[in-house]
Amino acid sequence: METKLQVRNLTISFRTSNGKVQAVRGIDFDLMKGETLAIVGESGSGKSVTSKAILGILAANALVENGEIIYDGKDLLKISEDDFHRIRGDKIAMIFQDPMSSLNPIVKIGRQLTEAMILKGKVRQKESRISFNSYLKLLRQAMTQAQNDPGKTAGIEEKCKAFDKFEYKHLALEAAYNKAHDAAQEAKSLIGVLVFELEKDAAKDLNYRVSRIGRLARQSVQDYVVSSRADQLETLVKKLSPDMRKGKAAADHYAELRDTLQKLGDILTEALQKDTPDFFTMGYYLTFSGQPLPSGPVKELNAELRAYMDDHFMRDFIGDAEQGIRWSAAQSCEKKEACIRALKAGRKVFEQPTLDKASCEQEQKRLAQAVQESIDPLEFVKDSLAYTFPSALSSEISHYFSAIRKNQKEEQRFARQTARHDRLTARGKNADWSVAPKSLTDLESVRQSILHLIDQLAEHYQVRLNESSRRNYAAETVAAIDHLKECASGVVNKVTKSMAKEKAIKLMEEVGIPEPHKRYNQYPFEFSGGMRQRIVIAIALAANPDILICDEPTTALDVTIQAQILELINKLKEERHLSVIFITHDLGVVANMADRIAVMYAGKIVEYGTAEDVFYHSAHPYTWALLSSMPDLDTNEKLDAIPGTPPNMIYPPQGDAFAPRNKYAMQIDFEQQPPMFKISDTHYAATWLLHPDAPKVQPPRVVTERIARMNAKRESRHAE
Amino acid sequence: MQNNQDTLLQVQHLCQYFKTGGSEFKAVDDVSFDIRRGEVFGLVGESGCGKTTTGRSIIKLYDITSGNIIFKGIRIGAGTRSYDNRIREAKADYNARIANASGEEKARLQKELNGIIAQQREEIRKARYDQDNCDKEYAEERTALVRAEYQQALQKADSAQKAALQAKYRAALHKAKKTRLVTQIQMIFQDPIASLDPRMTVREIIAEGLRIQGEKDEQVIDEKVYHVLEMVGLVREHAGRYPHEFSGGQRQRIGIARAVVMNPELIIADEPVSALDVSIQAQVINLLNELREKLGLTILFIAHDLSVVKYFSDRIGVMYYGKMVELASSDELFAHPLHPYTVSLLSAIPLPDPAFEKQRRRIRYDPLAAHDYSQDPPTLREVSPGHFVSCNNDEFKRYRSQLGQV
Repeated sequence: METKLQVRNLTISFRTSNGKVQAVRGIDFDLMKGETLAIVGESGSGKSVTSKAILGILAANALVENGEIIYDGKDLLKISEDDFHRIRGDKIAMIFQDPMSSLNPIVKIGRQLTEAMILKGKVRQKESRISFNSYLKLLRQAMTQAQNDPGKTAGIEEKCKAFDKFEYKHLALEAAYNKAHDAAQEAKSLIGVLVFELEKDAAKDLNYRVSRIGRLARQSVQDYVVSSRADQLETLVKKLSPDMRKGKAAADHYAELRDTLQKLGDILTEALQKDTPDFFTMGYYLTFSGQPLPSGPVKELNAELRAYMDDHFMRDFIGDAEQGIRWSAAQSCEKKEACIRALKAGRKVFEQPTLDKASCEQEQKRLAQAVQESIDPLEFVKDSLAYTFPSALSSEISHYFSAIRKNQKEEQRFARQTARHDRLTARGKNADWSVAPKSLTDLESVRQSILHLIDQLAEHYQVRLNESSRRNYAAETVAAIDHLKECASGVVNKVTKSMAKEKAIKLMEEVGIPEPHKRYNQYPFEFSGGMRQRIVIAIALAANPDILICDEPTTALDVTIQAQILELINKLKEERHLSVIFITHDLGVVANMADRIAVMYAGKIVEYGTAEDVFYHSAHPYTWALLSSMPDLDTNEKLDAIPGTPPNMIYPPQGDAFAPRNKYAMQIDFEQQPPMFKISDTHYAATWLLHPDAPKVQPPRVVTERIARMNAKRESRHAE
Repeated sequence: MQNNQDTLLQVQHLCQYFKTGGSEFKAVDDVSFDIRRGEVFGLVGESGCGKTTTGRSIIKLYDITSGNIIFKGIRIGAGTRSYDNRIREAKADYNARIANASGEEKARLQKELNGIIAQQREEIRKARYDQDNCDKEYAEERTALVRAEYQQALQKADSAQKAALQAKYRAALHKAKKTRLVTQIQMIFQDPIASLDPRMTVREIIAEGLRIQGEKDEQVIDEKVYHVLEMVGLVREHAGRYPHEFSGGQRQRIGIARAVVMNPELIIADEPVSALDVSIQAQVINLLNELREKLGLTILFIAHDLSVVKYFSDRIGVMYYGKMVELASSDELFAHPLHPYTVSLLSAIPLPDPAFEKQRRRIRYDPLAAHDYSQDPPTLREVSPGHFVSCNNDEFKRYRSQLGQV
């Protein structure tokens, strides 16, 4: 599975007037494509801070002390605000807890929905053009280089230009078809609902709905949708006369109206059951054969056109492209080998006990260049380690040297504090504070992490080189061509105001807002809580993001609405292959949504595993406490509340942060932080209870009983 | 008016309409239930179904449109809309008949109509009087009691004791005059941040009600404040602090202390745990449970988290768009939900069981598809003892047989 997002050793603090609050203390996790990762914890456990760091919207007093967030080959903690504009909202979207505060109260819903769409649409068009051109250029270069035959290179030029050209024709065709097809689908579903309501005698708002159906039905007249029965459809639409839908007289026409609608529905159903034509090949045929499309059933047409295109162009092009990609990969392999050598050589500079600034910077430049060159520009799954290496290396080096620099103020403070401490101890008193060291950076550890960075990349490259012989170039070529197609569609799909409105209304329908055409022109305060949250989800989805971060999206909503919103997020996740980070404190919600769960407490991940691991085989006392403190439908006895409150993170505890509230705490819990113990391949927990020397402890009775009950229920369900 | 000994609160045909522009919005429409002494009555439903409005109407934060609210046998709230409607209906009915009739018949009908109108007007007058003066009457009653008690003592007392007794009598009289029946109903609000005045210390917040009730003795006030603070799991030192210095769970405890200090008999808890973290939720629920046992409180528990309601309540009423659709004891309701809306609501509860959750199917409720009320409108009927469902004749039979089979 493809990793979408990697968080490594993320450490964030906040500067406050009382001191430094450590909100997140070194957390690691991966987010795979198409999965939901739930982060569970109490308020103040650092779960929201993590999500805000991913989105680059940390408060001004936040201090990212360490770590990396790697997305699409970039470290999100190090990229500029301008680069973030391309990612935030577009690639990574967020749904906030309170829908009212994430909507602008004095701007109409429609405007808020379409604003970003229109802005992003313009940018995307430009970007698609650029990325199409640049990728085609790279591919062309690789192809010509790979051929090494001046006679053939001209042919390749020609082909690439052709690729550019015929992309447009088919997309225009496809857009028209899609529009008609969507209209037919929508009209059909509207007819279904309306007929049902007419039978029940409870249809409201007839005028608007009937005219909308008529309009949609007319829009669906198009080749390959409603083509042969277009005349019939037109007469039916004309029959939907104004007196059937207006005023009190409308009731007399109900039967007739229903009849007409049903006939219309039949036509649309038939149209929707037809095969989808292959527009890509169609576009090619139209551009290069110079003849109109042959008629006939869609299936045969598809086969015919496909054969035509394969013979004339595609097979050749794919062959050439594959060769190009092969050549480029081989080039990059050579460069990688060179890079490994350079890394090994460069390592020596950083191996000295104290680093020399000039030579370090020189070496860093050299390594950065070597790594940059070794990246294959044609590869798709971006190699995040290689991409982030230059920036990571330079930041570590600057970290090292900035720590060496003498800080006058800190020196003074240190001297003053030491003197005060000495005075106190001299008087025989025990100070309840200790002198903070001059510099918070441990030089040795920074140097080690530089070395680690270099070794890691060298190792990684070695693995890549070993794997290179097993690569599937044919599949990569197809992916490359698909990428080009996608870019081309991005160029053609212009976003106008009316299109944005149409799309917004469709999105509103998709997220389950009734009568979206009316709601479109309302203000946020006219919506109920659940509806508002749906609007927020619609806005988040408008840009078609890769990653969706949900920060307690249902905490403010009641059960039915909550269930609807969760279903909606799940459905959209399936449909769009979204990766979701779901932040909540409600374990019931988590069980529904999550593929994997990370339980956070006091800025650390204390347990990490699949949903089954965490619910059925939980290992950390905090997870037990969470599970036992919430009532379910079979709970009768007193609830096992967690005593006390989370620790003050200005003075983070020395040992396990949960120890003071933990029934099972041992002496070592107060003294030393537990490492992550591995329970299974997917399941980890940070508690000393898992240490081989620890006493064996059973989870609380409430939890074991509940698990037993759940197992019994599951078995009885299986028996049924 | 029936006055059952163990019925603390009766809500009869409560309607609460709000004016929205030209039309009226029926937030609560003909809801009836009663709450027995010492029980926890849960009210559930989705947001906007009128459960909070019901709670607020009971405590007289709104003037109700129609219906009666009877607390400890005394009518504390009454609406007039139903009487107005009856007058209008009678007028329409009789006027048509009068127009057709002649002579003696006409006079008789007119007289009948006048009788009905006069009767309903009398009801309206009574309702308005009760609505405005129930507290005043209660205070007068209490004052009379105090007067009677002290008058005797004063007569017997000699001159030395008399002065001290006189002062005591005056204080008691002052308090009795300020007594309000409605203060025996107290409310706990959802949002512990918004419901506490940020510029008052905890002592002032908790004592405010006592002061309004006429308590002037600072020592008594302090004692009471410390007592309730300890009761809700806080310490004396907290009394001097401001709300922002507390965590969410502690703030909710302050809200509970403020309600409990008035020594109420009925507490309306309007989503008291919805805004809290899971671990704190459990603490607050445990606290409410303890207080309930210790003080013998009756609680109207309004919430949307069904697992919590199930755990906490004895009986549960399910509301849907201003109507009560089902009312039963909590075990009965969860074991045999009858109304399709209840079934749908129960199917939406998330449980901490991934295997179950992955295959949970929510049942949708569509009132149009679920019922056919065009001929036979529904009423709240008792399907089995203590189990009420809103249904019409056909559904009533179906539900009966459904229960019979189970």
